[in-house]
Amino acid sequence: MNVFLQLLFRSLETGSVYALASLGIILIYRTSKATNFAQGSIGTLNAFVAASLLVKWGWSIWAVVPIAMVTAVITGIVIDTFFIRPANRVGAVGKQIITLGLIIVILGIIPWIFGVEPIPMPQFIPFSSETSFEIFGATIGYNSFFIIGLSLLLMGGAFAFIQFTDWGLAIRVTASNEITSRLMGVPTKNVTMISWATAAAFGTLSAIIIAPQTQVDINMMSSVQVNAFFACVLGGFQTFYGPVIAAYIIAFSKNMVSYYVTSTWNTVVVYLIILIFLFFKPVGLVGKKLTRKV
Amino acid sequence: MKNLYLKYKDNLYAKFSLLGVALILIPILSEIDVLNYSTVSLVAYIVIFTIVAMGLNILLGFSGLMSLATAGFVGFGAYGVVYFSNVTGLPYELAIVATMIIAAIIGLFIGLFSLKVEGVYLAISTLAVGEIFGEVFRRVTWFTNAFGGVHFEYPTLLGFIHLNRVWTYIFLVVMMVVMMIVMHHITTSKTGRALMAMSRSKSSAQAMGVNVSQYKLTAFLIATLYATLGGVLYASFYRYVQPLDWNLMLTLLILAMVVVGGMKSILGTFLGAVIIYGVPKLWLEDLFSGIDGVAYIFSGVLIIVVVMFYPAGLIHLFDDAKKWYYQWRVKKKQAKEELIEQGGEQDE
Repeated sequence: MNVFLQLLFRSLETGSVYALASLGIILIYRTSKATNFAQGSIGTLNAFVAASLLVKWGWSIWAVVPIAMVTAVITGIVIDTFFIRPANRVGAVGKQIITLGLIIVILGIIPWIFGVEPIPMPQFIPFSSETSFEIFGATIGYNSFFIIGLSLLLMGGAFAFIQFTDWGLAIRVTASNEITSRLMGVPTKNVTMISWATAAAFGTLSAIIIAPQTQVDINMMSSVQVNAFFACVLGGFQTFYGPVIAAYIIAFSKNMVSYYVTSTWNTVVVYLIILIFLFFKPVGLVGKKLTRKV
Repeated sequence: MKNLYLKYKDNLYAKFSLLGVALILIPILSEIDVLNYSTVSLVAYIVIFTIVAMGLNILLGFSGLMSLATAGFVGFGAYGVVYFSNVTGLPYELAIVATMIIAAIIGLFIGLFSLKVEGVYLAISTLAVGEIFGEVFRRVTWFTNAFGGVHFEYPTLLGFIHLNRVWTYIFLVVMMVVMMIVMHHITTSKTGRALMAMSRSKSSAQAMGVNVSQYKLTAFLIATLYATLGGVLYASFYRYVQPLDWNLMLTLLILAMVVVGGMKSILGTFLGAVIIYGVPKLWLEDLFSGIDGVAYIFSGVLIIVVVMFYPAGLIHLFDDAKKWYYQWRVKKKQAKEELIEQGGEQDE
């Protein structure tokens, strides 16, 4: 029981990381029709901002994370304004290559500004006997609660925004058909800008959450990026909430397989399960089959 | 002379062969110290990844299907040939055949998968296959020696022709030219036309009698074999394979070679490989060797700019340049005629 609880909390924590990243990817995919391979890199860039301020200037983590969020929003807006929006006549594959170009640019910016050394990043609430408690023999840190709570709150906020506000309506109609909604007077340019800004902020938060497990370095987000993509296919690209649910499922099954079956091959087992699932349900968990006119 | 040029213009074989001859000159120039010793390795990399990208071009450009497992297959080809030569002790050619057969089986599985899963789902599913390859390279010690990597020798052809560095390079170039000719034949044959019909509209291709399932499998098979061959050649020339090279980043770079160079274009694929790998390595890194990362920024911006302004591929730059030149010439001629007319009027 205690092991199971421990695993559950760890899964919820990693699941939140994947979910934040995949919500960003799905927002961008739906509104600006781009598969964003740079989601992880954007997060890494702004995690470097946070870590540098924290280590070099000695600021508190509660101050640097909001600053990183602001720089993330700026990054998102810059990318949308200068690279994605002018490229509207480029096809879907072309946009993927543009995000690849962004990855390479970010790979160049990071050592240029922040140096090549990885930077250690502390947890929000450092783990100790005072900042943790026991349930059924499992020791859970306040930090886990904080991370899980914060991500659920943010994602809940995002869904409420999408579902109940005018701008949310604009996002939904842009996602459903960009050209028609532009003809109907929806400011699609602002919609894609909001999507990129939100996605960059969520990506940055997921990078900051995962940073204490390793260090802030260039490759810290590559596994998150890949898993966020798998969450998107497993959840289906047709809804905003599907990938989020799938992200938690992937994190949970990875931890379960790792503990109860095989710890070396857990990722391979989970990926194979995803592939087999997709073979029988090719549009994901909550996806609808797309019908296309001939 | 003009006759010869006209013959050359329409003859793709001549173009491919000329490119091959030009590439073979590089080690000679390097011997007489016009070029660096390392330039040969760089160009070999371009040659190898032109082969890989040609396979992806058949898949993406001609059939409209997407694969993000390319790097995984390249890595498999490299490891496979080393394993079958070193451990199993097969001769070089048989080792290639054995590697190819296994890769083809995996490729067919992905092809079967693509019959049910489409679009972005297919792309990311193949990414999962690529990631599984990566895990295998990191963990299966008997096959890949994990993080130690595996070493290889320059190949021995037919059991008695021992190749050295320069001859292996020439072997790579010859293979590239051969694979270009093969791709030209595939794409101008019935298969190529069927693939193109399929990429435009699956339903109408089916209505015209194209067996879509069969051609999807064919496309994946061809792409897999090209990628595996690239891997085999990589192991043959660089003689060392390590597990961390075959990641998503490499796949995306190969994809970028196809898109930047020009979909459906064979010489464009080579041009793409030069732009994506050659320009940063040969030129940008020398230019900005003092500062960390600036070469990266430039090559990233180069990719973005090319895709933004030439979404159809940079190979069309030559045609466009020709068009601009003719337009400019016609304009100049018109201006001259107008001038003459005006002059005439003044005379009267």
